[in-house]
Amino acid sequence: MPEVPADGPATTRRPADPTRGGGPLAAVARFQSILIPVLALAVAFGIGAILIRAQGVNPTYAYTSLFQAAWFSSDGILRTLQKATPLILTGLAVAIPLRVGLFNIGAQGQLILGGLASAWVGYRFLDLPGIVLVPFAIAMGMAVGAFWSWIAGVLKAQRNVHEVISTIMLNSIAAGLVDYFIAGPFKEPGQILPRTPEIAEQAMLPDLGIVPVGFPLAVALAALVAWVFARTTLGFRFTTVGENPSAAGYAGMKLGRTITLAMLIAGALAGLGGAIETLGVTHRYESGFNAGLGFDGITIALLARGNPLGTIPAALLVGTLRAGASNLQFETGIQPEVVDMLLAITLLLVSIPILTKLLFRKSAQEPVSSPVSAPATGGLA
Amino acid sequence: MMKSTRLLALVPVLALGLAGCGGSTGTPGSTGGSGTAASGDCSSAEVFCIGLVTDMGKVDDKSFNQSAWEGVEAAKKAISGSQTKYVETTDTKDYAANMKKFTDAKYDAIVTVGFALGDTTAKAAKENPSVKFIGVDQDHAQAALPNLTGLVFPEDQAGYAAGYLAGKLTKTNKLGQVLGLQIPPVEKFAKGFEAGAKASNPAAAVTTVYHPAGDNGFTDPAWGAAEAQKQIDQKADVIFGAGGKTGNGALAQIAKASGAGTSIYCIGVDTDQWNTVPEAQKCLVTSAMKLITEGTTDLLKQAKDGSMKGGNFTGKAGLAPYHDFDAKIPADVKAAVEKVVTDLKSGTLQTGVKLG
Repeated sequence: MPEVPADGPATTRRPADPTRGGGPLAAVARFQSILIPVLALAVAFGIGAILIRAQGVNPTYAYTSLFQAAWFSSDGILRTLQKATPLILTGLAVAIPLRVGLFNIGAQGQLILGGLASAWVGYRFLDLPGIVLVPFAIAMGMAVGAFWSWIAGVLKAQRNVHEVISTIMLNSIAAGLVDYFIAGPFKEPGQILPRTPEIAEQAMLPDLGIVPVGFPLAVALAALVAWVFARTTLGFRFTTVGENPSAAGYAGMKLGRTITLAMLIAGALAGLGGAIETLGVTHRYESGFNAGLGFDGITIALLARGNPLGTIPAALLVGTLRAGASNLQFETGIQPEVVDMLLAITLLLVSIPILTKLLFRKSAQEPVSSPVSAPATGGLA
Repeated sequence: MMKSTRLLALVPVLALGLAGCGGSTGTPGSTGGSGTAASGDCSSAEVFCIGLVTDMGKVDDKSFNQSAWEGVEAAKKAISGSQTKYVETTDTKDYAANMKKFTDAKYDAIVTVGFALGDTTAKAAKENPSVKFIGVDQDHAQAALPNLTGLVFPEDQAGYAAGYLAGKLTKTNKLGQVLGLQIPPVEKFAKGFEAGAKASNPAAAVTTVYHPAGDNGFTDPAWGAAEAQKQIDQKADVIFGAGGKTGNGALAQIAKASGAGTSIYCIGVDTDQWNTVPEAQKCLVTSAMKLITEGTTDLLKQAKDGSMKGGNFTGKAGLAPYHDFDAKIPADVKAAVEKVVTDLKSGTLQTGVKLG
């Protein structure tokens, strides 16, 4: 990893600031949050290489065929970016509530309802021009997604219902609702498969060459969220409420409203992810579409360690692996699930900082002088 | 500190959430690779390359994917100089991309498995007129492409044979059917079963229930079990469970009934469910099968020698082996059922089933 020595000196400088304040500690944490996933990824690929070798396949060849399929053709790049786009958004939908101390497990439900709502707009209002229809469909997807997460937010704020429980349950309800609608009122006439009709042509999001339109939008939103977190009072409020709710309350911040707002934004982003999938990729809503995209958002947020900008490389990584997996099987016969294993190992290493620290104590901390490493370690453990 | 604790706490939560989503990724199956490691040049005329794209799921799923892949492997043995390969779909959005893998590599024939791939297969066939496409369980009667054939099945014949056997087995003269969604293939099974039962035992009455709701017609084992129990309570002693997991739920419930295997029997569907629903072995006398393996092999041979026509190709239907019940079923019953199956195949016997 060439980044390691390059970034190394930065840490030695940063701790010159007092470590008692939030700023420098956050800076160290930010550095760690890049280093740890990168190293974890390297280890995961190393373990993957051993397993691939055990099946009689050259790991270099296997990985090359995976990455070639994902990045070496215009088709592949388009597919990789298509897969990454909703993951950035669901990653944000998990990362934002995380900032105020909530686990949004409900991105899945928010996403599928958003996708369904935009499909409905897309096939129902065939006469509207694209310039109206596309924003309308997107707005509808976001609104429905936001409404769904708002329920969990309000339950938390008003009744202190644990959001993990409520969002998991709302996921099931959303799945049931979607199944009902695509097999019932929204079903394409004369079709055996439960699915909606295709959306109007003018509602379909175009691809800008090899870049699906949704991708730059998702990246811009990730940047916007990062900016809001870092530079605005709203971001400060989110962070304060998340770090210390009682202090935030004492300082006059409205806890309930902050929590509800964070959930609302999260749901809108997840709903947007669903809308982009419908308008840009699938062009209709069909049973089985979007399976797991919302849950992948949790993976993304974890890989990004809760950092909004981190969702971009994390989503690109997952998108790359998913887009290349079938080529891996085509070229080598290795099961496509191997990429899920790579991700799982990476996640495991990322999510167990203590274990990671043990494994990487030397490489990660040798350049750092010892009085500095102590608080950094404390912050991660 | 808070943040990382939160992240840590996410791990069990993640596991919980994923458990709740009901398996979005396929189960990691056996570690076997695709059929051939050594690869000839698929663009050359001497090498006949066959590719298979699964529906969500693996080639060892004990169901449609596996049956079709076995058909491909059988074709490989039958066609000299052929080679085969499969790609397992892990995301429904990848159907087209997975087919493109094979067309890009100049494969000669591509098998796609399952109803859900129908539209994508038709599109790919249109874009690649030189490649033969075979859609298993897909209706391509309307497509009118010479290089695209849908492999469909006479479900009514399988149902008829099963019903014929049921009519012979019943002591109470009460038969039951627990079915998935009322869609054409299921209806053909059901009507065939009724016709077969009537033919072998005019006194037998058949109680037929379809799953009422559209959302989980084939994935509602609890409903299937409850309906099967109702029919048992009403003294039905041979019950046909046809409808994916819904039907499987019925079979498993019947296996639990007292008298299962001695006075109460069940019949499975699509594949030999002795293997796919082992918990039903106690009552499972046979299964009304679609012979996907055979149909796939036949079509691939046709694709090779150039006799494959567009539209639909009707495969064969039949009954699964009796397994442990082989000794318990009287020889004359077996012989009669055997004759029905042969006559249905040869066309001398018609089921008379027509869908309105």
